[in-house]
Amino acid sequence: MAELVNVTIDGVTVAVPKGTLVVDAAKKIGNHIPVFCYHPKLKPVGMCRMCLVDIGTPKIDPATKQVVRDENGNPVIQFMPKLTTACTTPVSEGMVVRTATEQVRAAREDILEFLLTSHPLDCPICDKGGECPLQNLTLAHGPGVSRFDYDAKFHNEKHVPLGELIFLDRERCIQCSRCIRFQDEIADDHVLQFHDRGRGMEIITFSDPPFDSYFGGNTTDICPVGALTTADFRFKARPWELQSAQSICTHCAVGCNITLNTRLETRHGGFEIKRVMPRQNEWVNEIWICDKGRYVHHFTRSEDRLHLPLIRREGRLVESTWQQALQLVADTLRAADGEIVLMVGDRIPNEDAYLLGQLGRAIGARVSVSPNVPSHYADVARAFGVGKDADFKRLGRGDLVLAVNADVEEQAPVWFLRLRQAVVDRGAQLIIAHHRSTKLHRYASAIHRFEVGRAPEWVQQQAETLAQALQAARHALIVFGDEHLDGPRARALAQLLANLLLQSGHAGRSDSGLLPLYPHANTQGVCDVLSPHTALPPAARVVWAVGVGDPQELPPAGFYIIQEVLHTALVEQADVVLPSLTFAEREGTFTSGDRRVQRFYRALPAPGEAKPDWWIAQEVARRLGFEWRYNSPAEIFEALAKDVPAYAELSYAALSRVVEQWPPIGREDLYYGGTAYDNTGGIGARYAAEAETRALPPYDVTIPEPTIAGLKRGPRMLYRDGELIRRSALLRARMVSLQQVA
Amino acid sequence: MLREKRAQDIEKVLAKYPPERRRSAVMPLLYIAQEEYGYCTPEAIREVAEIIGCDPTEVKSIVGFYTMFYEQPVGKYVIDVCDDLPCALRGADRFVSHCEKKLGIRVGETTPDGKFTLNTVMCIAACDRAPVLQINKQYRYALDEQTFDRMIDELP
Repeated sequence: MAELVNVTIDGVTVAVPKGTLVVDAAKKIGNHIPVFCYHPKLKPVGMCRMCLVDIGTPKIDPATKQVVRDENGNPVIQFMPKLTTACTTPVSEGMVVRTATEQVRAAREDILEFLLTSHPLDCPICDKGGECPLQNLTLAHGPGVSRFDYDAKFHNEKHVPLGELIFLDRERCIQCSRCIRFQDEIADDHVLQFHDRGRGMEIITFSDPPFDSYFGGNTTDICPVGALTTADFRFKARPWELQSAQSICTHCAVGCNITLNTRLETRHGGFEIKRVMPRQNEWVNEIWICDKGRYVHHFTRSEDRLHLPLIRREGRLVESTWQQALQLVADTLRAADGEIVLMVGDRIPNEDAYLLGQLGRAIGARVSVSPNVPSHYADVARAFGVGKDADFKRLGRGDLVLAVNADVEEQAPVWFLRLRQAVVDRGAQLIIAHHRSTKLHRYASAIHRFEVGRAPEWVQQQAETLAQALQAARHALIVFGDEHLDGPRARALAQLLANLLLQSGHAGRSDSGLLPLYPHANTQGVCDVLSPHTALPPAARVVWAVGVGDPQELPPAGFYIIQEVLHTALVEQADVVLPSLTFAEREGTFTSGDRRVQRFYRALPAPGEAKPDWWIAQEVARRLGFEWRYNSPAEIFEALAKDVPAYAELSYAALSRVVEQWPPIGREDLYYGGTAYDNTGGIGARYAAEAETRALPPYDVTIPEPTIAGLKRGPRMLYRDGELIRRSALLRARMVSLQQVA
Repeated sequence: MLREKRAQDIEKVLAKYPPERRRSAVMPLLYIAQEEYGYCTPEAIREVAEIIGCDPTEVKSIVGFYTMFYEQPVGKYVIDVCDDLPCALRGADRFVSHCEKKLGIRVGETTPDGKFTLNTVMCIAACDRAPVLQINKQYRYALDEQTFDRMIDELP
């Protein structure tokens, strides 16, 4: 526990940890000192002067070094001759802060008048209008009228693209440098800087490509004015028109908490997502999200969405009713005599995967995941994953992060931010082993290389040295990926790493464990609740593929049931197509790569007659004679928790728990932490790793020989070249012809 | 390429800093670039960034902050006239107007023949002999219209 010091702010005395800044101490007791440049996640710079307050400390007698006391025995407080910035001054014992004086009021008014001298006041056309710190603080503390002639204002460029995704309005910028500091201190992409000085000072980028960072969108959240806007959202909606729903990002296994902002749109006959915003969860993504999470949402209203069930008649897929399609599916499954493969993708929520698994087993199907889901080591992660209460924030000096075959920024961008901070800001040691360089390599204290696809052999050879390094560490986090490894070899790698944890005494300890880099939001969850077979049979009578996504090889079968959200190439192979819902149109839970189970909520109405996967599974089951009567994912989760041992301690109520978080985000505090949303939907809960509950033996590992297919499994990058974010049949056709020309 | 043209000078500068503190060499390297090209060209900025291992944006920011790094081509002679308060009290305003007239350009411009660039600058610490200017960083003190004209006419 850090040493506490007492500080009195406007007559209220509070004890805060030594080193706390006056502005934060005041915030803790509800005294909202206004700020622009200060941000609780960034280092203070004291640039904007908005937080000026009157600060005094007990007078010390230079001769005796004792506190001077008045006749009543109270310390004499000596105030500084001028106002001081609350954002750069740490508290000290006995400090007295005055924020309600006439001097402070006048200073706030002056600073705002000063900031507004060259501000265009184009709030009516500004994207930030309505959720703008400058607007709000001017209303609260600023002058009522301007003494400046509008025409005499300093004008500047208004639509400056800093990159493909972020635009800068130079007139609105108040030079707080939050964006620059975010890119320097958090993202470590130094693509923004100031140029020139005085009145000519402006934000520039001179990088090539310009503003290119996986985290750039966050700068628009923390920008206290409308200077930075995203190409995706600018001029699309006003903040007060937006509805919000709490959700979970599906693009990787971090499980970032997000808020989907939607608005009624006539063109889609209903609501559509206007923007994706971060939602605070200090145990997962703090208040950040990556750009893929922020921008890749248009697929929810893609023209390729499936709206109605389709049945193949005379070689063509024709629209049908649910009644017809479900009956056909049920009849086909009944006649298949158990020669069925049920294949589930890893974007399917836990409840749906669980119900599908139950049905699959009941009808004798081979229950499996789609071939590109790395299911081979999910049980190893379940046993030796990070502890139930692990918190990346605690990792620091004395701890070790071992990254094997892992490109963390590409495969789990927000984990990259958090591990980087553990190493760079808090002094954890980082050892990396990979066959190529990654961004994480910048912070490594030791770098090892192995041949492409040789990670398991390398770990086996280095086992002794690695175990020693792990043993010396207080906590050990091992993050690993499956680049150039097939399932069995990736499993061997996971097992070898688990053995290292056992050998070094870290197995089952809270802040230690394995951290696998899975591809999607629910890879761990689907494997947990489905217990899938890892091998597919060579052929089957019926293949039922649920949310398996990209076109790929399916086992040969006489009949294909494709359950999908988009009209993928796979749909063209189908005999029956069942349209399902995306995460945005329903509720449910996902289990992240670090086994945190989190709820997401419905943001959009269903397109056409598309239905959630659990509803489809239940309707098919009922036609096969099962008496299932689930009304919602919540009820299914209850059944799941009774059935899947790891989830026994979890419930929807437990997952919806919210707690006070620091810094305060959203609500009345837009100016403080930015426009990210506060968490009212639940911070989720992690289930315990098996190693935490009982002693586990080491794995007996034999590394299988590499396969060509495994070696060809290239790195899974966050962005794939040529991958379309907005699906378009026309553009796709043209791109293929372009590639052929090239 | 700066690295080929001024390899020795660059090595000499880099030798002054420990390898992990290479970034500290940014200003001396920019001076080399400016000597070589007359101003800090975009290519030179990128090259300096590469040499010291940081982002070109950071180097560009330094060039933008310091007035003695030029981002645009300048004349053979760069004339920086002080128009800060003490010089202004000694008639720097009128003096600058005269300079403009004599050179036929406005402050911040370069003569069409590329010979002279005229700037005004903040205090250059010679108030006792105002008005004062620097021509290619060499001081000229206690100027008036005649001495300025003579100086300009005599320059090769």
